[in-house]
Amino acid sequence: MVRFSFKECSIKNLLVSGFLLAAIPAMGQSLLHSDTIRIKEVVIISRPVSAILPGFSSSEIDTILLETLNPQSISELLSSGSHLFIKSYGPGGSATPSIRGTAASHTQVSWNGIDISNPMLGQTDFSLINPGMADNIGVYYGGSSSTAGTGSIGGLISLVNNPEWQYGVMAALNPAMGSFGELSSSAKVQAGNERFLSVTKASFYKAENDYPYLNKAATSEPMRETRTHSQFSRKDILQEFYLRSNQHKLSGRIWYQSSDRNLPGSMLMQPQNALETQFDESVRSMISYDAESGRCSYYIKGAWINDRLEYKNPLASINSVNLSNSFTLAAGIENKIARGIALRLLFNEELNLINSVNYENNVAGNNASLTLITEKRAGSRLGASMLLRETMDNNKILIPDFSAGLEYRVLKGEDHFVRTGIARSSRIPSMNERYWYPGGNSNLRNEYAYMFDIGYRIEHDLSSSVRITSEVGFYHNLIRDMIQWHPGEFTFWTADNIKKVNTSGFESDVSFKYSDNLLKVVLRASYSFTKAITAGDEPAAGNQLVYIPENQADGSLYSEYRNFYSFLITSFTGRRYITQDNSDYLDGYSVSTLIIGAKLPVRNNHFDLNFRIENILNADYQALAFYPQPGRSYHISLLLKLNKIVK
Amino acid sequence: MVLIITISCERNRLDPFKEDPEESFINGDGVFIVNEGNFTWGNGSLSFYSYDSSKMFNDVFMEINERPLGDVPNSMTIYNDYAYIVVNNSGKVEVVKKNSLESVTTIPGLISPRNIAVINDLKAYVTSLYSDSVRILDLKKNTVSGYINIRRTSESIIVSGNKAFVSCWYGGNEVMVINTDSDEVIDSVEVGKEPESMVIDKKYRLWVLCNGGWARENYAKLIGISTRTHEIIKTFTFPSKLDSPSGLTINGTADTLFFIEKGVRTMNIDALSLPSESWIDNKGRFFYKIAVNPVNGDIFVTDAADYQQKGFVYIYNNKGDSLAAYQAGIIPGSMCFKVQPPAVIE
Repeated sequence: MVRFSFKECSIKNLLVSGFLLAAIPAMGQSLLHSDTIRIKEVVIISRPVSAILPGFSSSEIDTILLETLNPQSISELLSSGSHLFIKSYGPGGSATPSIRGTAASHTQVSWNGIDISNPMLGQTDFSLINPGMADNIGVYYGGSSSTAGTGSIGGLISLVNNPEWQYGVMAALNPAMGSFGELSSSAKVQAGNERFLSVTKASFYKAENDYPYLNKAATSEPMRETRTHSQFSRKDILQEFYLRSNQHKLSGRIWYQSSDRNLPGSMLMQPQNALETQFDESVRSMISYDAESGRCSYYIKGAWINDRLEYKNPLASINSVNLSNSFTLAAGIENKIARGIALRLLFNEELNLINSVNYENNVAGNNASLTLITEKRAGSRLGASMLLRETMDNNKILIPDFSAGLEYRVLKGEDHFVRTGIARSSRIPSMNERYWYPGGNSNLRNEYAYMFDIGYRIEHDLSSSVRITSEVGFYHNLIRDMIQWHPGEFTFWTADNIKKVNTSGFESDVSFKYSDNLLKVVLRASYSFTKAITAGDEPAAGNQLVYIPENQADGSLYSEYRNFYSFLITSFTGRRYITQDNSDYLDGYSVSTLIIGAKLPVRNNHFDLNFRIENILNADYQALAFYPQPGRSYHISLLLKLNKIVK
Repeated sequence: MVLIITISCERNRLDPFKEDPEESFINGDGVFIVNEGNFTWGNGSLSFYSYDSSKMFNDVFMEINERPLGDVPNSMTIYNDYAYIVVNNSGKVEVVKKNSLESVTTIPGLISPRNIAVINDLKAYVTSLYSDSVRILDLKKNTVSGYINIRRTSESIIVSGNKAFVSCWYGGNEVMVINTDSDEVIDSVEVGKEPESMVIDKKYRLWVLCNGGWARENYAKLIGISTRTHEIIKTFTFPSKLDSPSGLTINGTADTLFFIEKGVRTMNIDALSLPSESWIDNKGRFFYKIAVNPVNGDIFVTDAADYQQKGFVYIYNNKGDSLAAYQAGIIPGSMCFKVQPPAVIE
């Protein structure tokens, strides 16, 4: 079946990943993710030249990482499994991403192809996204995210739900607890047959986050303090329905999420907090229909997303209530016009309605886009893609975005690829940037960027049990008309298209995988160098942007022997400047996590006991200045999974 | 002494961005510049311009006490041998020695403090952006000893005799009068929208600059009030709702007012109208705060730049001629002179 939505594109990626990991049928902790039974699906796929838009860089979050780390937020997951930098206020505090040195608003988050970024903020708080609600998570860098629509100048995080048709009935429970008052539980129930499937996921998480830290900032002598007013709780319920026949598939999903948290102050605040609280609530729903007819396939999907954000600061008498409703209609058609060559036409329409105490009036924003993609993929040494998108922002037609990529198999029959791509992408201003009162600027133009990519990828089997994959890549982005808040003529700030930023860098990944009947070993390492500088003639021109580390690296070693496994993950984040003139900075830090576990497969059922030690060296560090991160912590979880496989 | 100071200024005028933290600066005359930094970023700092060396020393609190000053330091006051630095978003007052900046203690537990006025050797008042009371500090114990409920938020504070005048800036339109002997509110005066800054002239008149509020729905006003009777003596209304004046200050002889409104404007206390033009042109810069040396009349104006980069301090003589410019910290704001002013009240 051929499909075109992001969700479906990611299915291909999944299959590729599955192929790469075929030798490592890792079964981890997370009940909300599928396990190794999908290998069957993998073998029917030939080696494609590329997964998403040939010429650009993308990756799936490592299955082992996703299933074994049992992360409570996507920020935890992406801190280790990608080239992203996460700017976090600490556990439960807001966390925003930076891909390739870009701003948080340049990273789009999609759920089964629908943008779920908050339309007011134009970005997503990664601490709120529970990765357990997705079955697969993809990271698409720069131009590789072009198919997702506008906004993804830095990249895209794609959350995808894939039904596990091979299980007719499945029930799973995963209770866990940890240091600093952490308590969580998740459950999954699936029922159905080969034509109908119902999947229900529920998750609850709460943490006191009352961890000790060393406060070197408040007084001359460092003081041991305990974090206060940092409680966090989150609930997720996801219901999925799937109905399929040979050439049709109908799916419906609804995801309710709420989180309640206290916002702790910085180490410099005496007392440490202003009793700020934040409540977030989202209802995300979608229905989609996929069909296939001869060489054509189609999809249409509709989505409604309701977000509520309440921020309270009793000290400042602030009670900020912000409501948004987003309606999306997306449709697409793909036609295989020749062998390995496909033509895709995508339409996307998004309407945002905002009701906020911070706006003068209720406001609406509408944008529509039409995207044409030509793609040449499998069965050849050469892969190529061309994309052209026209976007209408309210009543204004924007300069078209585009991308063009090439990928070439260097050695016939071998998985050695060289790729290159160029893209133009734009971001429509967020509703806050346009309508915040005071200071919002309804005359803002869209931000845009030109992005260049080049890279080389190797996937090589040294023997039947050893596989090595490696990728290196360079990129260069020119971001223009960036929106920045600056002091206006009066006593408030205003938003304007005044900033220029150039980013460039180097990314590399390597993994080594060994598997035999008893032993499985996966060794992975990655490094990225990011240079993100202010361009133009302002005083900070040429300096590294604040909170963009130049150097990041991480590595992991997974080993599994019979029913026992261990997983060591280490990540390093380099120096981050915290002043625009680069005169002050936060030191780099390295954090390691050790997981050991034992699993007991009983026929089709699965039991898994998992111990995790985070920050095993008890590093004292801050991702954001004066917001301490927790030291060493201990966690335990148990997975009980009962399966009934259907033919 | 004024001559010496002026000569010292001349010496380094050619290099506007002098910054040499290695040199000692502590014992001479000068002015402290309170750099607010960005809200919640904790990058506020303290700079000192030394008249002796004609140099700007940045981040001096950090250098001496080996810790950051805090989040959004807002103001500083010197009294006897000590200086009191009000750190707004850290909810504290840092008490330091005036001549060494060595930390004496920290007075925590304040709600969004803004400005401090020392009443006598024993006590001081601290205003609050969000609280409805003025906190009383015990200067012997360096603790919070009480509060005066004014049922309004407070900003600027100035003391005359046994009265403290407190402006209710954040959404307010009043000046509260507190008896400093009894620590009680004894009167209030309705003024314009958002009274932001105040001074007292040589004729015991309290001048209140009301900026009209950020929404620009009200006209800004400059109002003169008798400190004896609390009656409004003069009201000057700015001609446009778009006028947003700030930073009212006065010279050492207490006869000339200065404030910022698209540049620096100045007027005699007996003037019959507001100045219609800038006395010192801002030339496209973001003039943020202003202070006048009470001894020699030098005018210090801070430039917050884009509120993210380090800002600048411009020094002008009492004729408005540019003397020098120095880089300070991020968002250089209020200033505190470390000079001995002559008695100004007639």
